[in-house]
Amino acid sequence: MPSHPLRVAVVCSSNQNRSMEAHNILSKRGFDVRSFGTGSHVKLPGPAPDKPNVYDFKTTYVQMYNDLVCRPLTVGYEVQTCIPAYQRYTQNGILHMLDRNKRIKSKPERFQNCKDKFDLVITCEERVYDQVLEDLNSREQETLQPVHVINVDIQDNHEEATLGAFLICELCQCIQHTDDMENEIDELLQEFEEKSNRPFLHTVCFY
Amino acid sequence: MELSPEEGDPETPHVINMTTSEKVVDLLNQAALIPTDEKLTVLKQVQELIINKDPSLLDNFLDEIIAFQTDKSIEVRKFVIGFIEEACKRDNELLLRLIANLNMLLKDESVNVVKKAILTLTQLYKVTLQWLVRSKAVSERQEACWDLVTQMKGDVLALLDSENDGVRTHAIKFTESLIITLSPRTSDSDVPKRQEGDISLDKVPKDHSYIRYDALCEEGKTALERLLKFMVHPAITSINLTTALGSLATIARQRPMFMSEVVQAYETLHANLPPTLAKSQVSSVRKNLKLHLVAVLKHPCSLEFQGQISTLLLDLGMPQSEITRSTPAPREQRKRPR
Repeated sequence: MPSHPLRVAVVCSSNQNRSMEAHNILSKRGFDVRSFGTGSHVKLPGPAPDKPNVYDFKTTYVQMYNDLVCRPLTVGYEVQTCIPAYQRYTQNGILHMLDRNKRIKSKPERFQNCKDKFDLVITCEERVYDQVLEDLNSREQETLQPVHVINVDIQDNHEEATLGAFLICELCQCIQHTDDMENEIDELLQEFEEKSNRPFLHTVCFY
Repeated sequence: MELSPEEGDPETPHVINMTTSEKVVDLLNQAALIPTDEKLTVLKQVQELIINKDPSLLDNFLDEIIAFQTDKSIEVRKFVIGFIEEACKRDNELLLRLIANLNMLLKDESVNVVKKAILTLTQLYKVTLQWLVRSKAVSERQEACWDLVTQMKGDVLALLDSENDGVRTHAIKFTESLIITLSPRTSDSDVPKRQEGDISLDKVPKDHSYIRYDALCEEGKTALERLLKFMVHPAITSINLTTALGSLATIARQRPMFMSEVVQAYETLHANLPPTLAKSQVSSVRKNLKLHLVAVLKHPCSLEFQGQISTLLLDLGMPQSEITRSTPAPREQRKRPR
């Protein structure tokens, strides 16, 4: 066991679905966990695939919830009256997700704005991994404390987020239980790749 | 140092009337008797009191804190290392007393303690050199201190061959910092704000009585050679390789005089990725290589290597348009008057 509890960050694009699902499970299992998004904005599915609802990172989950409930579904100038917003966002699980999220923390957080240090950062897709590496490498090195960054590809839907969160949790538990994380992580990841049949990207950065 | 039990007004907690010194005594008495978690909290309070609040107390309580270096808890021993770093930064004279303790902890049985000691030596190597170079008086104790630091430097370089992956990673970062310290900063150097005050070879006088400019310069070059040799080991792990790639980019940007060696090493690696890497590790390493090549390319001194770097980046799948975007404009290259 490492001498202090592993400080974990889970990161996806909007800090809504994948990272929050993992945040939820990891904190229930007693991990010192935080979650983030790397996007410039928070995006939620909107009335059409090319019309997401966009918020900035200052907006709370409660505000987003209320906004979606009250919003008439407009596409251009035409009001889509066939499905009320409340029903649509209940059906696609967005309100349920926001409701879950607001119980975990008040609002999404952007990874690039967080100066706290972690032992392990887990990203949910390659683009997010790239953004995390770019950010960590652009920071000035100070203590040279290592941080391991691992990418686990997870599709951005509810089912995959749940499965992905369990995988992340299992991974964190295994890492937490190693005697010497840095010496064993390479091998551990290989085993996990075989078991889960998905490739992991892995690198180390320094604070 | 036992304090007598508090008497008097029971409604006033006794800490309020205590001097800082008494508070420290009280905390140290507590620390001896309590479990590790609480001990750490208490020791951190002591550190805050004697390093930041009232540094005049530092000398008085040094031995009491350092005694915890034999504590059975790894976290407490790591705390002592952090304390040594902070204390020596606060008062450089303390290096004379504390560097030997750090040397002991560098040989600790726990790799986590050793790793922390390497991180601290990375900082204190620079601090010691700067202090000794500036110090007017010459004393035998100072010279002995420098000898020990030099010996510890050699010990950490030797840890590049450690059996432990994490220890090697830390040794690579130490080597990176050493190479930068032991080479001159020039007007082309990309200096991070935080390191602006750091010592580098150009600030070492050539007539110092026991710190030899030429020897340091050679040690810096040897360290770079070791790092480059380390990188081409066929069984290098992906994490060590990733770390070394990043270190080389930092070196190239801060010491462009070594850019040629760095680009050469990147080329060699790209052509001969270690056969021991798994498929996903190859993807991770290639991604890192791309990231660091771009960082080097963006440096104004990359001019004569732009051809080589662009070829590598194209090979790694980066579109030409993106490469062009990361290439500094030629006029930026001639910032210095000829």
